[in-house]
Amino acid sequence: MATVTYDSASRIYPGTEKPAVNELKLDIGDGELLVLVGPSGSGKSTALRMLAGLEFVDKGSILIDDRDVTLTPPQDRDIAMVFQNYALYPNMTVAGNMGFALKQQGVSKEERAKRVMEAAKILDLEEYLDRKPKNLSGGQRQRVAMGRAIVRSPQVFLMDEPLSNLDAKLRVSTRTQLVDLQARLGVTTVYVTHDQVEAMTMGHRVAVLDHGVLQQVDTPRRLYSAPANLFVAGFIGSPAMNLIEADRSGDELHFGSSVVALPADVQADLKASSATRFVIGIRPEHLSNAGGGLNSNVTVVEELGSDAFVHATIQHGGGDVTIVVRIDGETTVSRGDNMPISIDGPVHIFEADSGKRLGTPPE
Amino acid sequence: MTDVVQDQSVIVDRSDEVERIAKKEAWRRRLPILPALLFTIIVTQIPFALSVFYSLTDWNIVSGVDREFIGFGNYGELFGSSLFRQAAWTTVVMTTASVLLSVFFGTLIAILLDRKFFGQGFVRTLLITPFLITPVVAGQTWSTSMLNPQFGVVNWLLERLGKDDPIQFAGQFPTWTIVAVLVWQWTPFMMLIILAGLQGQDPSVLEAARVDGANSRSIFFQITLPQLRPFLELGTLLGSIYLIQVFDHVEVITGGGPGSTNLPYFVFQRSIGGGWEFGQASAFSIVVVIATIIFATLGLRLLSSLLEE
Amino acid sequence: MASSTTGPVVGENKVSGFIFGVIAWIVGLMFFFPIFWLVLNSFKTEEAANGDPVLFFTPTLEQYREVTASSTGLLSFGEAFFNSAWVVVVSTIIVMVLAIPAAYSLAIRPVEKWRDVLFFFISTKFLPIAAAILPLWILARDLGLLNTRLVLIILYTALNLPLAVWMLRSFFAEVPRELIEASQMDGASLMSQIRSVILPIVSPGIAATALLSFIFAWNEFFLAVQLNPVDGSTVPIWVTTAVTTRGLFLAKLSAASTLATLPVVLAGWAAQKRMIRGLALGAIK
Ligand SMILES: Nc1ncnc2c1ncn2[C@@H]1O[C@H](COP(=O)(O)OP(=O)(O)O)[C@@H](O)[C@H]1O
Ligand SMILES: [Mg+2]
Repeated sequence: MATVTYDSASRIYPGTEKPAVNELKLDIGDGELLVLVGPSGSGKSTALRMLAGLEFVDKGSILIDDRDVTLTPPQDRDIAMVFQNYALYPNMTVAGNMGFALKQQGVSKEERAKRVMEAAKILDLEEYLDRKPKNLSGGQRQRVAMGRAIVRSPQVFLMDEPLSNLDAKLRVSTRTQLVDLQARLGVTTVYVTHDQVEAMTMGHRVAVLDHGVLQQVDTPRRLYSAPANLFVAGFIGSPAMNLIEADRSGDELHFGSSVVALPADVQADLKASSATRFVIGIRPEHLSNAGGGLNSNVTVVEELGSDAFVHATIQHGGGDVTIVVRIDGETTVSRGDNMPISIDGPVHIFEADSGKRLGTPPE
Repeated sequence: MTDVVQDQSVIVDRSDEVERIAKKEAWRRRLPILPALLFTIIVTQIPFALSVFYSLTDWNIVSGVDREFIGFGNYGELFGSSLFRQAAWTTVVMTTASVLLSVFFGTLIAILLDRKFFGQGFVRTLLITPFLITPVVAGQTWSTSMLNPQFGVVNWLLERLGKDDPIQFAGQFPTWTIVAVLVWQWTPFMMLIILAGLQGQDPSVLEAARVDGANSRSIFFQITLPQLRPFLELGTLLGSIYLIQVFDHVEVITGGGPGSTNLPYFVFQRSIGGGWEFGQASAFSIVVVIATIIFATLGLRLLSSLLEE
Repeated sequence: MASSTTGPVVGENKVSGFIFGVIAWIVGLMFFFPIFWLVLNSFKTEEAANGDPVLFFTPTLEQYREVTASSTGLLSFGEAFFNSAWVVVVSTIIVMVLAIPAAYSLAIRPVEKWRDVLFFFISTKFLPIAAAILPLWILARDLGLLNTRLVLIILYTALNLPLAVWMLRSFFAEVPRELIEASQMDGASLMSQIRSVILPIVSPGIAATALLSFIFAWNEFFLAVQLNPVDGSTVPIWVTTAVTTRGLFLAKLSAASTLATLPVVLAGWAAQKRMIRGLALGAIK
């Protein structure tokens, strides 16, 4: 068990100017499941591979349990990694794959067999131990890759999009098993995904990366309710938060024809800000169709049974803007309907250019 | 955002350290290439350098006269020599014809073999065998068993078909007889490379084309052929490398007879093959090398387009 | 690279498929015919071989007996075979010993400029051997290497090294990078990484490459005849000198030719698929 610290760690690939990971500062607690999430190319894999020792750290340091491992080769870090394509050794059996690391450590044959068997039991792989990877299904291969990691009881697990090669249904069930397994074993885990739903459902905490820069690290709930900036606001949540650009008129912001009511701290920040253009962020569930001042024209209705997402256009800032409203599943709305809406919950205000959030986020 | 490490005003800059490690590692990674590289440099470049030196001298090893430095004299003679020009022309004809014909036939046969039919593997095995045959054996077999005017099968067949006097293949058409044997040996090689290309095609692309209503012919010309391009280029390149150097076939089929002397054979004749004019022969070989390098550069450009990722 | 054939076009009618199959068989048999005829002649008596072509006759091993019998003064088949085997096997081993580490460097975590290095290797194949024979002959003479097996071993190694590096690089490049990283994470040392992870994957490619080197070296005639025509001559020299072309010789020549090519034909049949995959794949990836 261990803690992990990224201490202003940067990676600049040779021949590139911009760091792929830029001064990443991150403390990961003992036994924590931390998810690194971000769009493709945001530097998630690079950050993970820096911790693994597979990439150089050009600036800053990486610590495991307060031990500086920045220059330690991967062999000596006591870290196990699950790769996206599993990277199973094709010439070895399942048992051989799972026992390989132990063999490198010089663990005796009997001890190896025992520990492989234990891991196989946990992962339901007992009957496949003598098979070669090519004779396994995708889900089984994924479990072998997991098995290879847990057999070693390493200090840290690293996983780089380990579920992305599974079909949708298997992905959801494996996700749950993985969370359960991690909790049982209590091994500090860094998990990379580009899928924000996966991040939110799995992570104890989630770190959002964009262009190599850490945007926010927080619990899933806080990430959702108090995004630190415009990027996080747009990235987290499905369907995404409605983000509507608005020019300031004095110290007020308009949503459609109505003035947005702002809490005092936001008011203060708005007054202090020199920016002219802002973005109003409203989650679909914080818009209500229970009557109100704003007329909208329904274009698409997505029925989910319990509730429905209505896509509608409103008049805003001299043009049409599309917004998404969550409504009760009982209510019937259809295309072409005129639906009056109002704001019914917190709004988030960001500077359009810097993406900075106005006001201190609610606790 | 409470857990983000705060106030680390000094960030360790490791760029020098990383560079040093990277350099060291780069050398460690280069090390395994060195033996092969050194061996190749020594064995291939030293003789070449010596050739350049010899080519600037007048040196007949039999005459007993000392080697004498004469500058570019040999080169001047060279271009006046009609025999040299003849040999150069033969090389161009022989190489171009045998490469193009074997690529052409190889493609046709590969397309035939790319369909499932009874005994496919066996037919492929039959087809590659000519490529494996020792060149001198191939040359001898053709010039005796197959094409010999007295006891060759081909002339026997022609006789049955009503042709009275046998054809002296090697005598009447020396260059083309050699080309025929080369094509017989190299078509299988081209066929296998192109077969690898055909079998590597993405089946879903072909299916999509069929669904779109393309007929077999337009599928072949618009989808298969462009996908085969790198394989065709590779076949042409490797074929040229080996076929420009043909010696064995010339030696056993015609012995350099009427008009079938190519440059490699010519250089050989002029030097240790009996001429012993080492200075002159070296000049010939340097010209051959330069000509080949011109072709090779074109070839390498092709190759680099193949290696683009 | 899918190993399955593309198969007949959907909806293509069976008859045309059958006809294409028949054509393929005819073409295959035509290409093989000279070899078939060669082998057939080798089992005939000289009279039968030189008479009108016949398919049915009483086979005899007489010619094989005759060409393999060692005649005084001349190079015997046994000697030539031994020389060839020695030269070819040793040079192939050296080729592999040099090429495997080089290919490893060029493919797995490739060094910078690996393409230039590969180009250099391939470019040496553009130097016509006939153009280099002169200095080679002089060097060999001055170093006392004329008519030794050593000179052929060295030159065959140089001859096959570029192609071997090229082919092996493509086989090594097929080892997924993640697999090597996974073994690093599993704590494997470089040696154990090579032994347990890389070699099992590339060994078929190594075998195919070795076989191709073997074939080219076995078949080589020019250097052998120029540099080593007396002692230690190889099989291709034997085949051109063993049979006197006075009188009737076709059957004997056929027997000698069959013996000379048998080892490479067998090697080639064994390696056919992988050999070409190595040649083709490397270029395309
Ligand atoms: N080996 C490399 N050399 C140069 N640039 C790289 C390399 N690997 C990744 N990059 C670049 O670094 C950035 C981050 O990549 P990566 O960490 O793989 O992103 P992610 O995993 O979030 O998709 C990308 O812009 C990518 O193009
Ligand atoms: Mg990634």
